[in-house]
Order: sequence, then C-alpha cells, then structure tokens
Amino acid sequence: MRKKAGLPFYIFLSIFIFVTMFPFIWVFLTSLKPPSEIFSSFAWFTTEPSLNSYINAIQTRPLFLYMWNSIAVSGLTTILAISVASLAAYAVTRLPIKFKGTILGIVLAAAMFPQIAIISPIFNLIQGLGLRNSYMGLVIPYITISLPLAIWILATFFKKIPYELEESAKLDGATPFQTFRKIIFPLAAPGVFTTAILVFIAAWNEFLFALTINSDDSWRTIPVGLSLYQSQFTIPWGDITAATVIVTIPIVIIVLIFQRRIVAGLTSGSVKE
Amino acid sequence: MGDKKKKFQLSESQLGYLMVLPALILIFAVTLWPVAQSFYNSMFDYRLNDPTRNQTTLSYQIDLERYADNYFFYERDMEQLISETEGTEMEDTVVSIQNEISDYHQMIVESDNIGDQFAIVDEMVINFEPVNDNDLKYGQIDNSFSEDYIDVLESADEQLGTFFEQEDDEDLAQTIADANAQIGQLDRSMIRPNFIGLQNYGKYLTEARTWSAMWNTVFFTVISVFFELIIGLAVALVINRAFIGRGAVRAAVLIPWAIPTAVSAMMWSYLYDGQSGIVAHYFEQLGLISDSSVLLSTGSGAMFSIILADVWKTMPYMALLLLAGLQTISESLYEAAEVDGAGKVQRFFYITLPMLKSAILVALLFRTLDAFRVFDLIYVLTGGGPANSTESISVYAYQVLFAQQNFGEGSVLSVIMFVSVALISILFIKLIGSDLFEDKK
Repeated sequence: MRKKAGLPFYIFLSIFIFVTMFPFIWVFLTSLKPPSEIFSSFAWFTTEPSLNSYINAIQTRPLFLYMWNSIAVSGLTTILAISVASLAAYAVTRLPIKFKGTILGIVLAAAMFPQIAIISPIFNLIQGLGLRNSYMGLVIPYITISLPLAIWILATFFKKIPYELEESAKLDGATPFQTFRKIIFPLAAPGVFTTAILVFIAAWNEFLFALTINSDDSWRTIPVGLSLYQSQFTIPWGDITAATVIVTIPIVIIVLIFQRRIVAGLTSGSVKE
Repeated sequence: MGDKKKKFQLSESQLGYLMVLPALILIFAVTLWPVAQSFYNSMFDYRLNDPTRNQTTLSYQIDLERYADNYFFYERDMEQLISETEGTEMEDTVVSIQNEISDYHQMIVESDNIGDQFAIVDEMVINFEPVNDNDLKYGQIDNSFSEDYIDVLESADEQLGTFFEQEDDEDLAQTIADANAQIGQLDRSMIRPNFIGLQNYGKYLTEARTWSAMWNTVFFTVISVFFELIIGLAVALVINRAFIGRGAVRAAVLIPWAIPTAVSAMMWSYLYDGQSGIVAHYFEQLGLISDSSVLLSTGSGAMFSIILADVWKTMPYMALLLLAGLQTISESLYEAAEVDGAGKVQRFFYITLPMLKSAILVALLFRTLDAFRVFDLIYVLTGGGPANSTESISVYAYQVLFAQQNFGEGSVLSVIMFVSVALISILFIKLIGSDLFEDKK
C-alpha cells in the first residue's frame, strides 16, 4: 500500500530541493556578478556575467595548492585507514577471537572523542616529531577520525558476506589469510570502496587539526584556506563565492557519481536489516 | 616455500588478534594516550609562550643566566651592606646570611651536574653575551637542595625586610633594600615545578565565561538536534514512497552533508551579511527581523544564524538515516493495522515510532555528540561573537590553547569537554541498550 506520489507531493519535493540547494544557487549566481553589483543589488541574475571573481580567487590565494594538499592528505588518510581497518574489521566479524564487544566498544568510543580534548597533546606529538606543515602531520591525527569510522562501516559489510563461501575455501585448504585475500576481499570490495569514499570525505572536511597543525599557507587544506579569504579589510564576497564554487565542484562530482554507495554506507552502521 | 608457510601457521584466533592489533595500537596512540595527557597537562601551569613554563615539570630548575648575572650584583650589594652595618647589632645576622648564601652558591659552582654549565654561562654573562640555548640556560637541580636554598633565600629576605622597617637612617635603609632586592632576584631565578594540582579547575569552574560557553553549547545542541530530528523525520515520512526523481532528492540531501562545514559556514556568512546577504535581506523584508544587520551583530541573532546553518547542513543526513529505518518496517504491519481500523495517527504512534526507536536513538546519539563538539561552524561564522555570545566550549578551549598559548588552562576545558561527551554517551548507550553491538558480534 505504498503511497502514490501526487501533485502536492511533487510541489513539496520541489520546495524541499529548492531550499536545500538555495545557498549553492545563490553563491553560484553571485560568483558571476561584477563586484559593484554584489554590494548594491539583490537581483537574482546579473546582466553582465563575468569570470573576474574566479580569476581573482585563484590569484589572491593558492587555491589549487590547497586542493592538492587536501587530495594528498585525504588520499593518504584513506589508504592508511582502509588497510588497517579492513584487517581489524575482518577479525572482529569473522574470526573466533574473544572480547569482540570490547574491541568494538573501544572503536565506537574513539569515534566519539571530541577532537578538542586531544588537540594539545597531538600538537605536541606532531611538533616533537618535526611533522608540522607536512602531509603526515595531518594524516596521523586523522587516524582518530578515519580509523573508527572505517572499522565500524567495514564490519557491517563483512558481516553480510555468506559464511558458506568461507567454509568451502577452508575445506579446500586455504589459510585464513588466503581466505581473506582471495574470497572475502573481492566480495567485500564494494563495501570497502564505499567506506573509502566516506573516509575520504571525512578527512577532506576536517578543520581543527588542519587549522592548528599545518599553519603554513603552502600546507593548508581547503577548509582552512577558504576560511581565510575573509580575513581582510573588506570582505571580497565575489572572490569567496567563486572560490567556494571551485572547491565544491569535486565534492559535488563525487556525490553525484557515488550517491547510492554513500547512502548505503551512511545507513549501514545505524540501521539493522 | 609451502613447507615454511605451514611451519609458521598461526591458529585462526591468533591470526585474529594479530589483525586487530595494529588498529588498537593506533587508536590507543592517537586517542586514549592524548586524553590522558590532557588530564595530566591540566594540572600544570603550562604555557607555550613562557620559556620557564613551557614544559610540564615536577622538578626544580635554575635559570643560570639570570642567576649568574644577579649573583654578581648580589655580592657587590652585600659587601656594601656588611661594611655599613659593621659595629651595629645587625652585623652578625647579615654576615651569617652572607655565609649561608655563599655556601649554597659554592655547592652550585662545585656541583657535578651543573657546575660546568654554570661556569660557561657565567663566562658568557661576564662578556655580555646572551644565552639563547635553552639547554644551556636552564640547569636541572636537585629538588631538596633547591627547597633548602629557597628557604634560606626567603628567610634572608624576611630578616632584611624587618631590618629595613626598623632602620631610621635613610642611607642604611637604602643599602638594606638594595641587598634585599638582589636576594629576591636570586630567589626568582630558581624555577619551581609548575605542578599546581587542581588550581586550573578552580579557576575555570568558577568563571562566568566557562559557564556561558557551556550554556551556549548545550542550547545550540538541544535546539538544533531537536529541529533536525523533527524536520528530518517529517521529510523522511513524506519521501518514503515510490516517486520519480529519487536521484535528485538524494543528491540534494547529500551535497550539504558532504561539503566541509567551514565552507558552508563561509557561504552562510555571506547569506547573513548585513549589507549584501540575501537571507538577511529577505528576513528584513518579511518583517522577521528589524534590520538586516541584526543576524550577525546581536547575540540572539547570531545564535539563531548558527542553528539555522547547522539544521540546513545536517537535517538532510538525519532524514536519510530515518528513511533507511522506515524502509525496514514491514508493509504487512501497516496492512494489519489498517484492517483493525487504525487511523493514520495511530499507525504513526503505534507502529512507525516504536519500530524506528533504535534508528532514532542511534541517529540522535551521533548528532548530539557531533553538535556538542561544534567548532568549525562557529569559528568561521561568528568567531564566538558578538561578545562571546555564541562561544562554544570547543571554541573557548581553542582560544585558550592556541591564541593564549596556555596549554595548562586550555587542557581544563578539553577535559570538561571530554567528561561531558562521556556522560552524554553513557546516557544514550543506556537508552539504546546493547542493540548497537548485537548484530555485529
């Protein structure tokens, strides 16, 4: 008796989509306006669109360097988290070990740790290792965010793989590690990939560690770099909106391509099936 | 190769522990250990920008540069005092003070661990060279020796203080004061351990700014999570049906969630701007606010702005989680209820809500913890202002830790944050029960 979608439903849907997308639409429209128009009128569409703001945004600050830094840091974080977490998640879900509940409890607790509670010792640690203003300087603290997230989601995916396959592999004489590498991993690949996307996005969005540890402009990541466009005498909204559009595009592309996977990953940990 | 492999074959459970180990070590190193460290640091007067206090230490140190420099002047002023007090009743006391201090000084000069170090620094001071190397400048000295020396210096200071007050001759009084000032300088070159116990807690737990930050955090968390849940649930209920354009809805829901909070905070700070912000402009036109500048320049306006931006960003995520929960509820339950004559409202309260309970609680747990540690949104959008009216605990802790460089006091706020989050988690996990782990075992 699934409800059928009628006209009022589609009107509601359009309003909902419009409201959630409105900030993006408005920011995009602003980025095309000449500066004088931004400060003087609230007209939706400009009569003389220009790309000046985009050129300014790229020239005043090293926007593409920020993006490259973000890609490097998030990529390294994802590789590290997935390789460590897939082993742990496999052992917790499919191998006969004790304290499974305790281990998952520690993982969940770590995911809930407020970053501000660990920032100063982490800062000292990174400073002591001489890793401030480097990629590893962020990858190490990002373990706190990425590893618990990855273990939690991967455990859900590994759990869904039928045990029969594993047992027949065992009968054929495969070692547990071979079973993991040849049977489980290929079957779990979609889940691993989904987890990787979520970890990548989480690392991409991190702000506090990036703000404090990589304080040199040439090592900044996107969130921190973009937030610094405003620290000038007049706020250059044209540049800011243009920069926002540029940095949002990669995320929008990822979301559009992988939306089904992302939804599956996000809901897997919280809903029992 | 095959044989070798067999020889080292681990049992399944041994392999399992081995596979979990790297993850546990990493989690321990980057979360549990730092939290313990924050607790420890919070009990010290620990400031990065003060070279005498930029480490947590339980032992005494001596600032050799300052000590060597002052000892020279101390000797000069003390000689002067002795010659002037000759024949008076003060003489004996003054000489014995001088002897005692010089005994301790001799022990420093001859000491095995800092004697040589002192000689080098002394030489540099005589040549007016600054001592920039901190390892050279600060000497480690034995705790009991330091305490004894400090006792001697302080009792000398007290003694000379009384003499000074009783002395009628102005010139002599001045000489006493000079010598005494040098003794005070020697005392100050001894660096005490910066362990101060719970003093930092005393300061922050009684301070109004801490409590107002706590209130802001709680207010923000409760209000925004409440609206996210209500609106998210409503949206989930409405879109839980077959319709054309699911992809568009999914994208519209995911994009606000996926972009960095700092970026969305920048976008909203433009939309709220008093001069060119469209949201501020429309709100003024609609009569919701008296003036478009109200949103970011008044305390309540700024709090409202932050909550709206947060609800916009995370409500879709909430809707998504609840929608997934709704889709697991079997249709047959609703059909049976309809046959029994249950209305829409009854079906919602007797089927939907109970079936959704665990999904709602889990979503609430994650959202509450996330909202409680809010940092990026407030830091970028309002910076905690105007006049700290939107400052959360995280923002306040960041200010103390990194703007004031006070790692001791800032750690108190870190610990407060940690304890609050632990309490919230325990509360929720009690409510959820062991459900969360059951299906993963």
